Amino acid sequence: MDEFFYQIQKTDLSKFLNNIIQKNELYAPIKTDAIRFEKIESPEKIYLDTNADFPLKEFFFRDREKLFSFDKNKIKVEIEKPSKTRVFFGVRRCDLNAVKHQDFIFMEKHKDPYYSAQREDAILIGYHCKTAPSKYCFCGSMDLGDHYDLMFWEDESHYFVHVGTKKGENLINSSKELFSKTNIKLNEEHKKIDFTNRLKKKDISKLQDNPDWKKGVDKCISCAACTTLCPTCYCHEIKDEVTLSDLQKGERLREWSSCQLKSFTKVAGNHVFRENREERFKHRIYHQLQYFKERYNIEMCVGCGRCITHCPTEIDFVEIINEMKEK
Amino acid sequence: MTKTIKTNNEYIPFPIKILKKKNESADTFTLRLDWQVDHDPGQFIQVSIPGIGEAPISISSYSKKYLEISIRKVGNVTNALFNLKKGDTLLVRGPYGKGYPMDNLKGNNIIFIGGGCGVAPLKGAIEYVERKRKEFGDVILFIGYRSPGDILFSHKQKIWDDNFKVHLSVDTIPSKTCYSGNVGFITQTIEKEKITNENTVVFICGPPIMMEKSIKILKSKGFNNKQIFISAERLMYCAFGLCCHCMIQGKLTCLDGPVFRYDEVINFKTD
Repeated sequence: MDEFFYQIQKTDLSKFLNNIIQKNELYAPIKTDAIRFEKIESPEKIYLDTNADFPLKEFFFRDREKLFSFDKNKIKVEIEKPSKTRVFFGVRRCDLNAVKHQDFIFMEKHKDPYYSAQREDAILIGYHCKTAPSKYCFCGSMDLGDHYDLMFWEDESHYFVHVGTKKGENLINSSKELFSKTNIKLNEEHKKIDFTNRLKKKDISKLQDNPDWKKGVDKCISCAACTTLCPTCYCHEIKDEVTLSDLQKGERLREWSSCQLKSFTKVAGNHVFRENREERFKHRIYHQLQYFKERYNIEMCVGCGRCITHCPTEIDFVEIINEMKEK
Repeated sequence: MTKTIKTNNEYIPFPIKILKKKNESADTFTLRLDWQVDHDPGQFIQVSIPGIGEAPISISSYSKKYLEISIRKVGNVTNALFNLKKGDTLLVRGPYGKGYPMDNLKGNNIIFIGGGCGVAPLKGAIEYVERKRKEFGDVILFIGYRSPGDILFSHKQKIWDDNFKVHLSVDTIPSKTCYSGNVGFITQTIEKEKITNENTVVFICGPPIMMEKSIKILKSKGFNNKQIFISAERLMYCAFGLCCHCMIQGKLTCLDGPVFRYDEVINFKTD
């Protein structure tokens, strides 16, 4: 795609978003009791002061997905697809990269039709952070790329907009009168976000037995908020649910699960492999920072910091790792 | 949302008929399935009963005509499977996983060490060796069960005695039980037996404590980690590397295992 930015006046943003609403469903961060992406009818409510508490994960890798319905041994596979194109506005760089990693695991590595049906037509419009929106952000330490249809950078009186895909370009073309081409090129400087280079030690392969893990483990209450709010965690379980009026009929469901819970490794006969909290706590961090990379050569964690911001006991695993002394 | 009907994807099982059901012991039974599918000994399949759920079960046979699974009643799915009979249908998908590397072991001696229902996955490999007996050297079976009532696959006893050197032992004999075989932990038998590590590989499957003990004895007899293959048990849902429940220090039991060469997993600790 073209390296040159477009620009749009700030006062024209709502016109652009209203144009989108005409033909599509628009989702953007809204602040109520929490900040989350919701379908909106008018752009006024959009909240961009800080990142959303909930990532986009639930829209594509849904927390409860029907794999098929059954009637005794007869199986019917019906895959739901959104009837209108969904456009997501205001997605941060970390969350866009999280979508990239989920696209990789669900669409490239596996051909998951349930994820694809939700994801395929969706359009992602980014909103680039200038500085860390939370003191726990560490995206600057992670290996992030460009994964968006359009990306917005806020400036004094206007936004600079970069086109990432054909889909993004089409959106601009459908509101052509609002955008003008600039002669400024996208470069690495634009992608830098201040105060996010927090994780100093990314190779944790030799730290498995470090006693400092205890600092985090001792405060962990195994609530699973970290994995639930993580934009990249994709572990799930499968279960059957029957219709109460006819027990032969029902559905097989895929639901999010959490490695922080004992049940995650419980086998028949009630043996639990990761019985103690330390093993479970470390498993999450190692899957994010090491195991996924060993297997796929991609860092799974995107450094959004939600697992720390929303941890009820604020376990800052980044700080814990930084302070670890290697033998 | 609109709905599109699709026919197939990785999660979708298909129906298979039960050709035969055989009770092996009070809590363990074998289902012979009308399923002709290429597989390696040590691989597993996903078996499900709609409404109850799905469970990974290792293949316990080696045949081109059918596929057998031997199951212990320990959970919802396995209890429901127990209630099925000849002619009934269940849902399956697979086979999955990395089994025993039989093709690379031609000309070698093999030692099988199995405990309890851990004998089931080994049985598939043993039947492979039965079928291709000339391709392998000496074969020794060390098989242990809790009590005489727990002994599995007794109908195979004669074939195994004719083809291999078999050591079968039970841990204890409950009172009023008529039993004239060996008594004691099977690991004690291994310890006493003269075995050499020369051109020999060992397959172990059984309770963790038995596997641990066996490995210790084997190492004292000169075996190295590369000669030992173990079969890991983990909770699994998808069986194709996506759900991550079976992950052990980054390795996925459903893809990289369930059979692992011991040197690959020696650092697994408790994970």
